[in-house]
This record gives sequence, structure tokens and C-alpha cells, in this order.
Amino acid sequence: MTTPMLRRDGRTRTMLNRLGFGSFVLPLTLFMLLVFCLPLIGVVRTSICDGDCSLVAYVDFATGKLFHRALINTLSIGFVTGLVSVICGYFVAYHLSRMTARRRRFFLVLVMLPFWTSILVKSFAFTVILGTDGIINNALQAVTGTDIVIPMIFNRAGVIIGMAHWLIPFAVFPILSSLLSQDKALRDAAEIMGARPWDIFWKVTFPLSLPGVIAGGLMSSVIGMGSFVTPALLGGRRDMMMANLVDFYVREALDWRMASAIAVILVLIALLILSLAAWLRQRQESGAAA
Amino acid sequence: MRFLTKNLSLPVIVTWLIYVFLLVPSLVVIPISFGTSNELVFPPQDWGLDLYRRALDPAEGWLAAAGRSMVLGILATTIALLMGVPAAYGLSRSRFPGQKALTFMLMSPIFAPTIVVALALYLYFATLGMTGTMAALAMSHAVVITPFILVTTLSGLKHLDRNIENAAMVMGATRLQIFFHVVLPALKGSVLTGGLFAFLLSFDEVIVSWFIARSDQPTLPVKMYSSIQWEISPVLSAISTFLVAITVVGSVVAAFISSAETDGI
Repeated sequence: MTTPMLRRDGRTRTMLNRLGFGSFVLPLTLFMLLVFCLPLIGVVRTSICDGDCSLVAYVDFATGKLFHRALINTLSIGFVTGLVSVICGYFVAYHLSRMTARRRRFFLVLVMLPFWTSILVKSFAFTVILGTDGIINNALQAVTGTDIVIPMIFNRAGVIIGMAHWLIPFAVFPILSSLLSQDKALRDAAEIMGARPWDIFWKVTFPLSLPGVIAGGLMSSVIGMGSFVTPALLGGRRDMMMANLVDFYVREALDWRMASAIAVILVLIALLILSLAAWLRQRQESGAAA
Repeated sequence: MRFLTKNLSLPVIVTWLIYVFLLVPSLVVIPISFGTSNELVFPPQDWGLDLYRRALDPAEGWLAAAGRSMVLGILATTIALLMGVPAAYGLSRSRFPGQKALTFMLMSPIFAPTIVVALALYLYFATLGMTGTMAALAMSHAVVITPFILVTTLSGLKHLDRNIENAAMVMGATRLQIFFHVVLPALKGSVLTGGLFAFLLSFDEVIVSWFIARSDQPTLPVKMYSSIQWEISPVLSAISTFLVAITVVGSVVAAFISSAETDGI
């Protein structure tokens, strides 16, 4: 008679425990459903139904010149900044990977400081540094004795410099972790067999760090493609990206449907690139296994 | 690989130039902020605290904006901590179907382009008639910063010895008792650092606030954004220095807490 009682007791207990865990996750889950998922669904809905329902916003996007330019800007600025960030990030990550953990802690602060600095502080600083009357141009004029002015702001160069500055840390971390996970014995073996430093780097270190390079590059490209502040403050009129177009359609044109459609397309592009990254990683892993 | 770095002097120079590039924008604002002129000059001709006086002048509105951002940051961080820390505990200590999908959903504000989140929240709160309210702003910021609380808490939970929790359970403690008396005290460090970074994120957040905040009641970053857009005033260097100082203090405190914690273990 006692055994079923015990079993029931045990069962209630596990059920209560399960509920207990559920109640820990439940508040946040409800909150995110209500204040994140529902609003996102709202964007998809608004892109089709705003008063009446039609795909007019998407048709406009496919045919409008303004949208084509924003799309091309978004893709090309994202790609170029991703590339610049990976190249710069590689130098930093390599440097960080070849020092003691203690020293690395200090240098990581140097990388994290710009990461945590407000993007507005950085944008303001870049206007001061790169402007026509800025620090670099003034210094150039003083050194050369001419009134040379290199336009570095309110154009594509300004956007890419500002964005790379913001995205380099995002590239540093994946590259650093793939550099740190390499077995030092491989390099030592290559060295013993007479390989020169350059050969070791290009034939051992770099190929092994490629997963980190690809992850860092795609990551910084995707983040860059969604950027809003940098192109608005450091770019010119011709450097408008899709995020800025969203802002324009909400504030100036008051066309929520168009703004939503642009946002949906932006998310689709980001998803496409992220799944490309996942696919590449999977292929690499299965390749390594085989 | 000693000789490698010695031989490749060009890469070493490039590396140092990149460090300079990374650091200069955060630092260049500091000397400018102690200049006195009405134009942006570097280095300043005269030194003084004029720009700080102007930044603190109530008529300029910077103080009010900073106060608003402070209140908003505290509210949003509180909401995020209250929901994020228990959620991280629940996620790390149980297995249930759909857990991966749920975790992905809770983390997704990190991956989604901020502009899309901003637009979504703007449309949502506009339909609810709540745009411009502090409640809407705080909830929006909570959405953006909670994933970071989840990440830091989850990584803190990984380092906890599960046996202590098991011992408490064997001795008859309930889930809630375990959470409050065993897990939370041991997790103090990661919750504090997570909260600190979440606060900094909210304090610096501009895109969501740009959409949600009332234009006559901007947060500090929104006021900076519109100010840089219209006219680049030297006062901005004083505000920027203040923000850099907050960042440095926050990072140092966070590093201190986390190193104290690892030393303790």
C-alpha cells in the first residue's frame, strides 16, 4: 500500500520541480513574446497590410531607384567594412595571441575601451579628426605648407572608417579564439623542419585560423549592414543605407508600410548571410571529420 | 615565436597603428573638452572649464537629458535583471523540449538589426498610444539589454558547483530557497557585472530611443545624435569626455569585480 503512495509523492515532486523551473523562465518568456516577438510580427504585417493589404511596398522596393541605391550601399559598405575589420582585427588578434595571459588582459582592455565607448562619442571624435578643418587635414597643411584638404568625411571613406572602428572588436574575438585554440606543437614542428616564419604563418597559422576569419568577417558585415548612426553622421547624402531609409520613411514620409518592408528585407539579408556562415562552419566541421 | 615578431617589423608597426586608431577617438575628446574657444580646435589655444560650465547650464538641456538617461538606465536594468537572472537559472538547470528554440528567441535581440527592433517597438507602442512614455522606453531598453544579462548570468552559472544545489535539495530546500539562498549569493559577481554592462548599454543606446523618445524630452544619446547632425558644438567634447569617463569607470569596476571573483575561487 505504501509503494504507490510514495510513487505518487515522487511524481508530484518532479512535477512541482518542473513547474518550478518553468516559473523561473516564464516571466521573461512572456515579456519577450509581448514586447519583442509581437512587435516584430507587427512589422511583417504592416509591410503588407496598412489600411489595405497589398504587396505594393515590395514592388516599389524592387523597382525604385532610391531603394536600389540603398540596397547596393548596404551590401557594399557592409562587405568592405567587414573586410577592413577582419584585416585590422587579424593584426590585433595575432598580437594578442602571442603574449602571456596576464599581458593579454591589459591589451584586451585597449580593444574593449573603443567597443564600450558610445558610438556618438566616436562619431563626434571622427568629425573632429577627419573633418575638412580637422586634425589630420590641419596637420597635413602644416607639414606640407599647402592648403591641401583630403575629403574624409561626409563620404564613403568616412562611413567605412567610422564603421570599421566600431566593428574591429567584433572581428578580433572570433579570430583570437581560433588562434588561441591552435596547437603550438604544429608551429614548432614546422620550425624544426626548417620552415621560415612567413611560411609557418601562411601554411600553418593562417589556414587554421580561417574559421575565425570567416566568422569575424560575416559577423562584422552583418552588424555593419544594419548600422544607422555612422552613415547618418559620417556619410554623405549618397551613402544612405537601408537603416537610414527606414528612419526616413517613418519620420519624413510617414509611410509605415514602406519602412516595414525595408526592415523585413534587411532582416532577410542578415538571415541569409548568417545561415551562409552556419553552412560554411558545418561544411568545415564535416570536412575536418572526414 | 620570438624571432617571428622580430623579423616581421612591418606587421608589428601596423598592429600598433591599429591600436592607436582604436584608442584615439575615445581619447581625443578629452583635451578638446578643456579648451575655451567656440570653435573646435586641436590642441586648444586656451585652457579652461568653459565647456563644462556650458554643459552643466540647465538652459542647454544636457543635464536634464543625462538625468533622463540615468533614470531610464536604472529602470531598464532593473527590469532586465529581475527577469533575466531567474530565466538564466531556469534555462541552465533544466532540460525540456523546445529549449534551444526558446533560448534562441530570448537571445535574438542581440542578432536582430537594431533599426528593425526600433521600428518594431515604435509601431507597437504607437498602436498602444504609448510612444514617448518612460514606460515604453524602459521596456524597449529592457528588450535590448536582457540578452546580455542572460549571457553573463549563464556563464556565471556554468562555474557554480551543482553539488551545493543538490545538497540543498537533498536537505529539503525548495527551488525558490535554493535560488535565493544558494545560487544568487554565489552569482553576485556575474549579476553585478552583467547589470553594470547592461546599464552602460542602455545609457549609450541611441537608435531605439531615437524612435521611441519624445523629441522634446530626448535621452542623452538622442540629444547628442541630433546635435552632431545639425551643428557640431564644442560642448559635445565635454559631454563625450563625461561618457568616456563613465565607460572607463564602469569597465574598471567590472574588471575588478570579475577578477575579485576569480581570485576568490
